[in-house]
Amino acid sequence: MPIVFKKNQAMFRDVVGVEEAEELLGWLQKKPTATVDLSACSHLHPANLQVLMAAKVTVADWPKDSDLRAWLETALKIG
Amino acid sequence: MTPLLEQFLSEAHELLDGTDKKLMQLEKAPEDETLINELFRLVHTLKGNSGLFTFPEMTRVLHASEDLLGMVRGGQMAYSRKLTDQLLEAMDFVGLLCDEIESTEHIDASRAADSARLAEALRMLLPGSKAADAPGAGTAISTDVNKVHPAPAATPTPDLPPLFEIPEAARAEAFRQCGNGESLYWIDYTPTPQCFFQGDDPFYTARRTPGLQWGRIVPPEALPPLAELDTYRCVLRFQLLSAASREEIAEYYRYLPDQVRTIAIQPQWLVTPQGGLNEDPTGAVKASARSADALPQLAEEDAAELSAIVAAQRQILMLDDHSAWRAGQLKSVAGVLINASKVVGDSTAQKQIESALAQALTQSQGAPLLTWLDAYEKKLSSKTAGQPDVSSCCNECEPERKPDARRSASAPEESSAKAAGDDGPKFGRRAEDAFNAPKSLKVDQAKIDRLMNLIGEMIVSKNALPYLAQRAEVQFGVRELSREIKAQYAIINRITDEMQDAIMQVRMMSVSFVFQRFPRLVRDISHKLGKEVQLVLEGEETQADKNIIEALADPLMHIVRNSLDHGLEIPEVRRAQGKSATGVITMRAAQEADRVLIEIIDDGKGVDPAAVKRKAYEKGLIDEAKLEQISDREAVNLIFAAGLSTAEKVTDLSGRGVGMDVVRTAIEKINGTVQVDSTVGKGTSIRISLPLSMAVTQVMVIESDGQQFGVPMDHVVETVRIPRSAIHLIKQSQATVLRGRIVPLKALNTLLGLSAEPKANADDELAVLLVQANGEILGLLVDGFRETIGIIQKPLSGVLSGLSAYSGSALMGDGSVLMVLNIKEVV
Repeated sequence: MPIVFKKNQAMFRDVVGVEEAEELLGWLQKKPTATVDLSACSHLHPANLQVLMAAKVTVADWPKDSDLRAWLETALKIG
Repeated sequence: MTPLLEQFLSEAHELLDGTDKKLMQLEKAPEDETLINELFRLVHTLKGNSGLFTFPEMTRVLHASEDLLGMVRGGQMAYSRKLTDQLLEAMDFVGLLCDEIESTEHIDASRAADSARLAEALRMLLPGSKAADAPGAGTAISTDVNKVHPAPAATPTPDLPPLFEIPEAARAEAFRQCGNGESLYWIDYTPTPQCFFQGDDPFYTARRTPGLQWGRIVPPEALPPLAELDTYRCVLRFQLLSAASREEIAEYYRYLPDQVRTIAIQPQWLVTPQGGLNEDPTGAVKASARSADALPQLAEEDAAELSAIVAAQRQILMLDDHSAWRAGQLKSVAGVLINASKVVGDSTAQKQIESALAQALTQSQGAPLLTWLDAYEKKLSSKTAGQPDVSSCCNECEPERKPDARRSASAPEESSAKAAGDDGPKFGRRAEDAFNAPKSLKVDQAKIDRLMNLIGEMIVSKNALPYLAQRAEVQFGVRELSREIKAQYAIINRITDEMQDAIMQVRMMSVSFVFQRFPRLVRDISHKLGKEVQLVLEGEETQADKNIIEALADPLMHIVRNSLDHGLEIPEVRRAQGKSATGVITMRAAQEADRVLIEIIDDGKGVDPAAVKRKAYEKGLIDEAKLEQISDREAVNLIFAAGLSTAEKVTDLSGRGVGMDVVRTAIEKINGTVQVDSTVGKGTSIRISLPLSMAVTQVMVIESDGQQFGVPMDHVVETVRIPRSAIHLIKQSQATVLRGRIVPLKALNTLLGLSAEPKANADDELAVLLVQANGEILGLLVDGFRETIGIIQKPLSGVLSGLSAYSGSALMGDGSVLMVLNIKEVV
């Protein structure tokens, strides 16, 4: 599974595809205080990104992939 | 060039000629529905074919044309002169692209803009085009009209991209790149909201943009609350800064030119932040200050070469002193350096070298030149490593090495085509293009047909010789002559048979010719649809006549596209139904007696007979009574009726209700039959049966009421003689029991409206010809059977063409005409 859902944190791994977005959305709706760990993520489909953005989720760990991190920071760092 | 591409081009040219002709005819008769239909099919086929290759520019224009014609065909808009003009231009553009492909095997990326402009112009003609209600792929284009056509190029600074929002570090780096003479583009990429469904990953696309310097994701003004968020509707935008050339960017985004806006960046835009952000542009300012005495701008490779040249000259100057050729050596070194500075456009350096040379010559040693070299090299190294030179970028006095930058300065948005209409470039290749000598000899189909007809006639006239021999013997009593005629006949017979065989051989082609295009087609389409599909090809070596094989190409394409689009499910659905995620499409060809059987089997969701019935009823193809009676199997076969499509919406691939109709028409034209079997949830199998060759048809000659008729052997099951006593009357119908099966009997005389009764033979037995028609076996009562012969069947023409009871006629060896029965229609 590209996303591992823990108690209050979702861990993204490798490439997270479009199929995961629905589940992620459902999960985040149930857990409004959840955080995400993107450290092991190398790419994620924008469908997932939209969900993360809409949920204004807190990023606990940014991706190790610096390129991805730079991109995501433009979208997920609010304020 | 692959054979497939060659085939495509030759077909495309043919189709284009067809569309041109039809468009011209339509202008004279705009109400002609058949013309519109034919035109629509031509464009439909052309679009489908172009989809096999990566020619999005072509497909886009054709798709727009098709949409337009679809509206005209559906009566939603009237045909107009303007429409013709626009369509003709679109077709000319397609023709131009074909020519380009022919010479270079690909389409230049710069065509994308023209293509988008043409497609846009076509869509503008659609009723209500200004709103975002254009069908299919049109949505993106029409909603983003302003993006595709931003302010005219003449405006000095069109809406500048928000460059100041780029972080300082990235901007400084970009400025340096820009200063180095590299082009820099701002890309605004707005994916369509439906793009996820097309299997796109816009984020990935953005990340992989060539020459990417910086990029960010722009969220929409307000994201909906989580509960209302539609995950699969893309709301993001991307803004990028790329150092790639415009061509590279256009090439990379060639499939989405309507979603991408490219703006050339001028260096000073990077220096002067617009808007109120109070950032410190020191880096850039310092750079411009330092540039006062800097060297003119050099591309990196040039700079490296220049330093190599300078270093070589230094080595020469350091060589041991040989006073004899010292002067020559100095002059040569100076000459090289002067030339080098001329190339880089450094006129002060030239003068300095000249004076240094004069000094060196008087002193007869290299020191003055070396001193100059030291100073120059220092300048060079600071130049390549250090800050760029702003003055040379901004000033117009810059040498012509950077045409890109200068052009883009005056036209920040050059990809924006001028407003659709009269100003745009014309593609009128018909009018004034040069004649290209054909590379291969293409023989007109008609000529081959003629050859085939001639050999057919020869066979017929050869068959007249035995009659002649008989007459010589019976009527004139010259036995000797009769024998000689027969001997001659034997020879001619052998030769014509061989000749016919040879011509047939020439025309024989293996099925692989049509099959070979499918692996690619299936792969591309399945990727587009997000489906996993495995294509299995069987019996590719099966051979058939060229006409047959060629006629097969279009129907097969439609069938396979339909299977991909409507038949096979997406992997998730398949898994949920306990099928393997990968769907299988099998295309199988086999020869059976004198027919070729082709099966296309998919293991998709099958055709729902109820849905077809309902749709057919809605469209008025069947009436209420039929709706009740019709069997599921018959219902499924209704998909071949014109104008029926069960798909909910029109896609790039199918769903216009034209495909299956085309399939049936095309196959029946070559005397083939097509049948579909389908189990809901299990899959669909479409069986096409075709004659091996169209030229010679095997018929059985039968006699009835003193006349001879031909019955195609495809329909003949067997011939039997049945005693009159074995014929039973069930109500009004006759029937007999044959090997435990009840076979309905009908007298051919009655069917043809002849009053005579079937004749029985001496033992009071009736001749029964068992035929297969419409899937049933039926006995035809005839008077007698004759031989089976190969004939060249000619379609009936003139007033006779209305007689559906006959499929055609043929000339017999004795000069008489044989009428060939159309069994399906007769019974």
